Order: sequence, then C-alpha cells, then structure tokens
Amino acid sequence: MNEPRLAILVAAALLVPAPRELAAQIVSKLEAGQYSVSDGSLPASVLRLAPTFQYQTPYATIKARGSAYLSDQALQLADGIVSGTFTSPTVYGVRAEMIGNASRAMDDRSLGTDQVDVQTRVHLLYHQRAGMWFGGGVARPWRVAVVSSADVTDLGMWAKVGDAARALGVATFTATFTNFSFTKVASVHDSGSASLSCAGLAIAPQADVAPARALFSEAAPGSSACERQSRFGDLEGSVHWDLGMIELTAQTGRRFGDSYDVTADSRRWSAAKATVWLSDRIAIVAGGGRQPALPLRGLPARSYGMAGLELAYWPLAKSSVPVSLPHSPLVRSFEYHAAATGMQRITIRVGGVETVEIMGDFSDWTPLTLVRRGRDQWELSIPVAAGMHQINVRVDGGPWMAPPNMPTMKDSFNGEVGLMVVGAAKS
Amino acid sequence: MVPRSLGVAALVAFAIGAAPLAAQYADPYAAALARLDANSRFAIELVMDSARTVGLSDTTLRSRVLEGVQKHASASRIVESVRRKFAFLRTARTMLGQVSNEELDAASAVLEAGAKPAQLQSFKTRQKGREALEAFTIWADLITRGVPGEEASSAITKLWQDGADDATFHSLWNNVQADISQGLNPGAALQNRIRETPQRTVTPASKPPEGQEIQSSR
Repeated sequence: MNEPRLAILVAAALLVPAPRELAAQIVSKLEAGQYSVSDGSLPASVLRLAPTFQYQTPYATIKARGSAYLSDQALQLADGIVSGTFTSPTVYGVRAEMIGNASRAMDDRSLGTDQVDVQTRVHLLYHQRAGMWFGGGVARPWRVAVVSSADVTDLGMWAKVGDAARALGVATFTATFTNFSFTKVASVHDSGSASLSCAGLAIAPQADVAPARALFSEAAPGSSACERQSRFGDLEGSVHWDLGMIELTAQTGRRFGDSYDVTADSRRWSAAKATVWLSDRIAIVAGGGRQPALPLRGLPARSYGMAGLELAYWPLAKSSVPVSLPHSPLVRSFEYHAAATGMQRITIRVGGVETVEIMGDFSDWTPLTLVRRGRDQWELSIPVAAGMHQINVRVDGGPWMAPPNMPTMKDSFNGEVGLMVVGAAKS
Repeated sequence: MVPRSLGVAALVAFAIGAAPLAAQYADPYAAALARLDANSRFAIELVMDSARTVGLSDTTLRSRVLEGVQKHASASRIVESVRRKFAFLRTARTMLGQVSNEELDAASAVLEAGAKPAQLQSFKTRQKGREALEAFTIWADLITRGVPGEEASSAITKLWQDGADDATFHSLWNNVQADISQGLNPGAALQNRIRETPQRTVTPASKPPEGQEIQSSR
C-alpha cells in the first residue's frame, strides 16, 4: 500500500472529534531491573529502565512508552513507542476502536527502525465478561527488509472467569489470530534459502553483513527480483490471572506460514510474567520466555529474562478536573469527599476490572468513567451541587447498581440508587 | 488494489467519528426527549409546565426523564415516573412549606420510598439554618431496607426533634444496616439502635442564640 493511503487513514484518525468529557488524568510507571537477552543485540545482562506515561480520557488514551539500558555508563535507547487509542461509546454491546502507533526500535545501535501503523477494531461485548473483536489496518515500517506497507488483520476473543472478591481472583483468557501480509526483500536469513530466487544478484551474499537491513532497503528498488510477497499468521493464547496482590501472565503462540516467511526459531514461543504488588504503587516483577521475530520491527527472535521493580504513579489531581457535562459485590468501597469548591472526589475500590463508571442526577445521568489511581482504586473529581443526589455505579459495563456503604432507595425503573448527601455539614 | 483491511479501516474510522458526533447533542434533556414518542413528550412537557406554574423547579423532573432514558425504561414508565415525582414534590412542598429545592427533592424521595405525607409535618418547624437532608436520606433508606414505615418515621422524627445532627443520623444508619446485614429483622434493628442513641435534651447550647428566631415556613 502506498503512502497516500496511509496518510488518509492517519488523517481520518485526526478527524475523530475530541471527546466531550475531559476526565483526563496522567498515569506513569517505571520498570527498572535486570534484563537479559540471547540474541546478542544487547549486552548479555543490562540494567534496563522502561518508563510509561499515559494520558487518559474516557474515549481516548495517549500513551508513550520506551525502554533504555545502561551500557558503558551511558543510557542507550532500546525502543520507544507513542500510541493513541480512540474508542467509541458502547452501543448495544458494540464498540469501535482506532489505534495508531509510531515506534522506533534500536535493536541495532547504529540504525533505528521505525514504524507507523493504524488499526481499527470492532468489539462485540457480552456483559463485559466476554467478547470478541475483528479488525484490520496497515503498518508502514522503514529500514527493515519489509519494503511495503503491511496489511494487518486480526481476530480475537476473550473471556473473564472468576470474581475479584473471591480467593481465586479473576482470570482472563485471550486468544488472537493476526495475519500479516507484505512485500519483503528475500533474505539469506529466510528459511528455505530464499536467496536462491535472487541468484546472480550480488546482494545476497552480503546480506549477513550488518547492517543487513540497510543493504536490503537500499537495494530493493533495483533488485525487484528479490522481492516476494510474504504472509504469515500468529495464533496466540494468553491468560492473565489476577489474585489480588499477585498477577500472573502467561502466553504462548504459534506462527503459520511457509518456510520462506517464518524462520524455524519463530515457529513457537511462550513467555510468562509474575507481578507481586507490595503496595498500591510498588511491585516486584519477574518474567522470561521466548519472543518470535518481528519482521515489521526488524527484531529477531530472542529469549529473554527479567527481574525488577515496577513503580506505578497515579498522581492525585492537584486541581480537580471538572467534567463539563455531564451494588456490585465486586465494589469493595465507595467514598466521596469535597475536593475543591463545588467539587467532589469520588473514590471507588474494586479490583480486577477494566472500567468503572458512575452516573447520577449531578451528571444528567450521563455515565462518567473513573480514572484508575492505583491497582484497585478509581477516582473522579466532579462538580456536585449541595443537596441529596442519586447515584449509580457500574463495573465493566455491567448493570447499574447502588454503590455500597451508602444509603439507598429504589428508583422508578426496577433498580436501586445510592443517596449521596452533599452539603456544608457533610462534605 | 485497495486492500480489504483499508476498506474495513475506513468504515470503522467513520463509525468512530460519527458516534461522538451523534452523542454531542447540545442539551442532554432535549436529546433524551427526542428518543420518546410524541405523546410521551407532550405528556412530560405538560407536567413540566404544571410544575413551573405552581412554582416548583423542573430540574428534578428533567433529571427523572434523563434517568429513565439512560436506563432504557419504556416511554410510558418514564411518563408515569415523572408524574409521580411531580405529585410527591407538590405534596412535600405542601407539608414543608417554602424550603430549598434540595430539601424538597429529598423529602419527595422519602414519600417516594413509602412515607406518608403527614409524617413530614414534624419537619416543618426547625431551627434556622438546619436542614433535614441527611434525615430524609436515612429515612428513605430505612424504608427501602424493610423497616416498617411507622417505625422509621417515629425514629427519625424523634431524633430530629431531639436536635440530632447529621453525624447522629448517619451513625444510626451505619449501625442499623450492619445489624440487618447480620440477619437481624430491620424493624428490630432500628428499635435496638434507636434505644442506644444518646438522648439529647434540649440544652441552652442547642437552642438558637439570643435573637435568632426559629424558622417556620408557616
């Protein structure tokens, strides 16, 4: 696919209207620890820092993530990615999502590989306990053996089992199939000796000389005989088990494609990670496994291991963010406190969930999404006038319920509402 | 050749763009009304007009419409709910007189929960500046939890007349709901806890300062 088409998609993403509700908050994380890889791209064992910053509103998330390592007393960039996600409101269990990423990987210290990709997905949700999605998009890499935009299509499904309030916690099972289709320059790294098709071209024998990707890329226009249409598909399964203070993630995958497109060391992979939360903001993380080659990122297959600390920071809002407009057994507590003049800070504790929303007469019964402030803490500061207010809460798009630990009454529509008193005496 | 994924991408991009546009109705109440049929809209506007005519704020009624639409209630259910709310607001005002809209709203919630209009009578006379929001809230909750209406009314009224503050009402609620969740009968739970609530004798300190009148809406 050519550049204009990509530009159209990027432009379409930019044209998506800004969300009306601005419950924007910033979340940051820093993972620091020892990191070991097998492919020789990094020193065998390095101190790695991986910061993440996230700016989140109810319908959009902008995230910047990177990693760097200490080598010879200097900080070397390993990779960086900026991504934006726009999500439509869920209507009858259907939600649309647009994802855009721009990334750079410095696997080879002398040459960074770049990629821009845009993807859209349609999600079908079933009571927020299960769902599936399908989608497609394009990715444009630079300075790798791939010399065209790649068409990416994916299909996935997930199911959540368990209850965060119980000892066994919540387990989320996910299965995905992602298909990649692109034009690449045949490489001597390809299984099956793709270089045979390039016989007579001087480039093939040089392909092993670093930086190989640069040679391929530069040679590509003049060596069309070496180009081939590649296609492969990744089938992946994963489970994320949230046991309160402990989170376990395991994934495994298999790559399908002919031997020209899939190297033997990328046929199968698996990895696992454990996170033990010492507090709301500090966790010990350890993991390892095998990662398949990422042709679009120019990254080879590698085995890795890591152990370190994760510092999560969900800053308390210094100035309350007004929202212009505007009993689940899972919800452990509900509190509200005066945040500033005319503002109330709502705090809900519930673990193992994706979204927490409230609505009430103070929001014209428009759902407002709370922002995650800790592993199981969700917050939102909203303007609430003095008086008695009715409020509902829901978790992961489930049924609207009265929050726990507060007076309630029946509403007129076969449900219950919480009664929140805001006044000079109770604030 | 245009890849199929590009077509899908463009379609979904349009969907994403269109959804927030559709959601950006200038006035949420107008948007909610637009989702009802013409007869229901007319009936609701009639109630709103009546409310304004008798000097009641229509904010609570508008909120009821928005709540009903958001909760996917049928139009007839919404209309019925708005009518009932208007009736309760009017009754509450009759019983309490000219109190703030917030208090009127809370009192109407008590009636909606099942209290009798006459039971509001005791709240008509009060110390200036004192509000019954917390009392009404706890009252509505107690009825909802199954405390018999008469018992809830007499307990709340007694505390109110004894000069109980918001914290006392909230503490009573906290204890009663804890007992109920332990399996105690709601009525018995209230009776037990109300006996434990310290009796406030009306001391000079709780009386209005010199020269400060007792607010009465009569």
